[in-house]
Amino acid sequence: MALRDQLRTIVVDDMSTSRGLITQALDGFGVRHVESAADGASALQKISSWPVHLVISDMNMPGMTGLQLLHALRSAPQTRGVGFLLITGKADREIIEHGKQLGMNNFLKKPFQPDDLRRAIEAIVGRL
Amino acid sequence: MSDPMAEIRASFFIECEELLEALQDGLQAMFDGARDDETVNVVFRAVHSIKGGAGAFGLDELVAFAHRFETVLDEVRAHRLAADGDLLKLFFQCGDMLGDLVRDSRDGLDHDPARAAPVLDRLDALMGTQDDTPDAEEVAFQPMAVSLDLPGLDTDTPPPGDAPAPPVWSIRFSPAASLYAAGNEPLFLFRALRDLGEIEITCQDRDLPTLDSLETEQSFLAWEITLTTSEGEAAIREVFEFVDGLCDLEVTEQVGGADITKLHPPGADAAAANVATAPYPAAPAPGPTTPEVTTPEVTAAELTAAEAPKARPPAPSPPRATVRVDLDRIDRLVNLVGEIVINQAMLTQSVEEAGLPPNSAVRTGLEEFLQLTRDIQESVMMIRAQPVKSLFQRMARIVRESSADVGKEVHLRTDGENTEVDKTVIERLADPLTHMIRNAVDHGLENTADRIAAGKPAEGKVTLTAMHRSGRVVIEVADDGGGINRDKVRAIAEMKGLITPDLPLTDSEIDNLLFLPGFSTAEEVSNLSGRGVGMDVVRSSIQALGGRISITSEQGKGTTFSISLPLTLAVLDGMVVRVAGETLVVPLNSILETLALTREEIREFGPETHVVNIRDNFVPLLDLGAELGYRDPLEDYAGGVVLLIAQEDSNPAAVVVDAIEDQRQVVIKGLQDSYGRVPGIAAATILGDGQIALILDPVDLVAQASGRTRPPRPIDAKAG
Repeated sequence: MALRDQLRTIVVDDMSTSRGLITQALDGFGVRHVESAADGASALQKISSWPVHLVISDMNMPGMTGLQLLHALRSAPQTRGVGFLLITGKADREIIEHGKQLGMNNFLKKPFQPDDLRRAIEAIVGRL
Repeated sequence: MSDPMAEIRASFFIECEELLEALQDGLQAMFDGARDDETVNVVFRAVHSIKGGAGAFGLDELVAFAHRFETVLDEVRAHRLAADGDLLKLFFQCGDMLGDLVRDSRDGLDHDPARAAPVLDRLDALMGTQDDTPDAEEVAFQPMAVSLDLPGLDTDTPPPGDAPAPPVWSIRFSPAASLYAAGNEPLFLFRALRDLGEIEITCQDRDLPTLDSLETEQSFLAWEITLTTSEGEAAIREVFEFVDGLCDLEVTEQVGGADITKLHPPGADAAAANVATAPYPAAPAPGPTTPEVTTPEVTAAELTAAEAPKARPPAPSPPRATVRVDLDRIDRLVNLVGEIVINQAMLTQSVEEAGLPPNSAVRTGLEEFLQLTRDIQESVMMIRAQPVKSLFQRMARIVRESSADVGKEVHLRTDGENTEVDKTVIERLADPLTHMIRNAVDHGLENTADRIAAGKPAEGKVTLTAMHRSGRVVIEVADDGGGINRDKVRAIAEMKGLITPDLPLTDSEIDNLLFLPGFSTAEEVSNLSGRGVGMDVVRSSIQALGGRISITSEQGKGTTFSISLPLTLAVLDGMVVRVAGETLVVPLNSILETLALTREEIREFGPETHVVNIRDNFVPLLDLGAELGYRDPLEDYAGGVVLLIAQEDSNPAAVVVDAIEDQRQVVIKGLQDSYGRVPGIAAATILGDGQIALILDPVDLVAQASGRTRPPRPIDAKAG
């Protein structure tokens, strides 16, 4: 049984273009259980009724940043263990170090190709 | 659209427009004094998001520009650079440039790198010798795996790169009768499958009939097979190669039958490992009262965020759901609603003719129907309506660019940006409004030195306002310049032969000379507003939209141009008139007044024409019937009904008709498609009785008029 068939993922990005691109790429890998949210708060709400294994989140969003979302996830027992992949345009030390402290599983710098995304996801959850 | 990437790309450019709008808003807010972090963040994020999307589509030029813009914005965000007026002006320029790049990329146009170069140089100069922020490569990061306990999946997820557990396949095999007829034996196939891996086979016999109804030549059995193999689908299908076409075969990689239950935390997160074995609940269990905070510094936002999942906060206001609809579909709907309006008018007429009592069910029902029709019409028109904001933002750019060109300090104030107007009206307003704004900056406002001499602030002000007023949209362009120099306007008009010297003109009449074709007050044609388009072109484009333009000016205080437009282009308030047995509709907005002609008011003027004396103003008399070729000019117009048609550049014209029938809303039906352009006629409509009536284009009609109001007198009749 392939992991991709079971993996439940949520894509969080304020830009619908980015959500579309990531969802499109996931679809290409055969990952079909994908939800999306435009900001951290609605992502958390969605996850509360639709638990996920993996959160793929943009860093720079209005309201909650990607890392604030990560912190929120790690703070609640139900979501403490989810995989977290941060998508960021600027992968500077500050962000990465902070992400590390918060328990970020991996990060991916924009722009990326579908293959990059696949590698970044597989490094967290194993082969799709 | 079948290509999902093309679709995403198209939506990226639409999203870019939204981001550019947010960028302009944010910059304007900063320019107006906002210095809070969120405003700066919004600006930064807009550029950042455009860059991110552009990167995904390989729009390198756009990425490069956005990156350099973003880098400087980041400095402002980090309070390392102060956003003073000069810097904000540069940011505005960058925003404009970014918009150009986005649109060029969208339209596949080449962008001239020389255009962006000076702006980029200034951006780079601001950054000085600062190093770029360290990039990802320098930051050591080891991805952390999480182990997912999924049914049917090897519980110990191998570290990335290792071979995974072999996949499980579901195979459904239903042989047709022909398979057996061709001498095949399913058992051999199953044996071959068994060689591929671990196998489990179930026979499906539910279609098997009872013995007495069994047809021995038919096939009733099917098999379901679960095969765990790493050989792949091709290998499985190869087994069935020789029975291809003789059976139904489904090979699918299995999706674990049951729900997803467990999820382990990141392996490296030791603290969290304790809860790892807890089942992952489908619904959130009530969490601890205080979230476990692992970071030393916790901002308020983080705390709120942390509480979000357990506290089930009130639903965050979701972004407004929107649907993108093809404009054609909306127009079809608008047309259909137009049909309903016509239909309902016909029905009303029939009901009235039937002479039913006012309290009859039919009448009251019709009353409700009328109300509904009006509501539907309004709602449909609202679909086509858009706020004028995007238009105003374009004008902000025009002000920035044109004030820089003529070396004036100009501040644009906008008001009523959320006023909604029909989409087509907005599109067609862009050109005339651009011209008016340029005019205001170039001609309306004085030079800085003159302003200071006049005791005004050095910075000129142009105000762009939109508002709804009595069922129409009013857009005003006002400047606080010196006002119209009427002596000069008059002198120019005389010099150009547009008016005769000594013609007595009121101030407002002099102001309106600006709308005459060929009028230009600039002593030398500047490269700005003098582009071969005058205010006459502006006026005719406004009139083509069913609008009016007027001008008011006060010496030393400034000039205001006011455009009044209908809310929609689909419906028109019209006066239904009859002439020579024909029914016609005259747009109400062009009629100044209506009056009955007396013999004393009509004066002969030239061999074939008359003028009408209206309160001591002489106005040319036009016979609508004769102008449209319905009849020859009459002998006598006394007793006729005259519509005084507004002609904003000069005196009005008196158009004579036989009778006025009604005043009502009519639905505009274009004639362009079937007849092309008909002189003097704008469109057609269908009246309540089903009759088709032409809608006049009064301006065009008057412009094309022959003015003949006297029947030709045959020469021989005179001689005889």
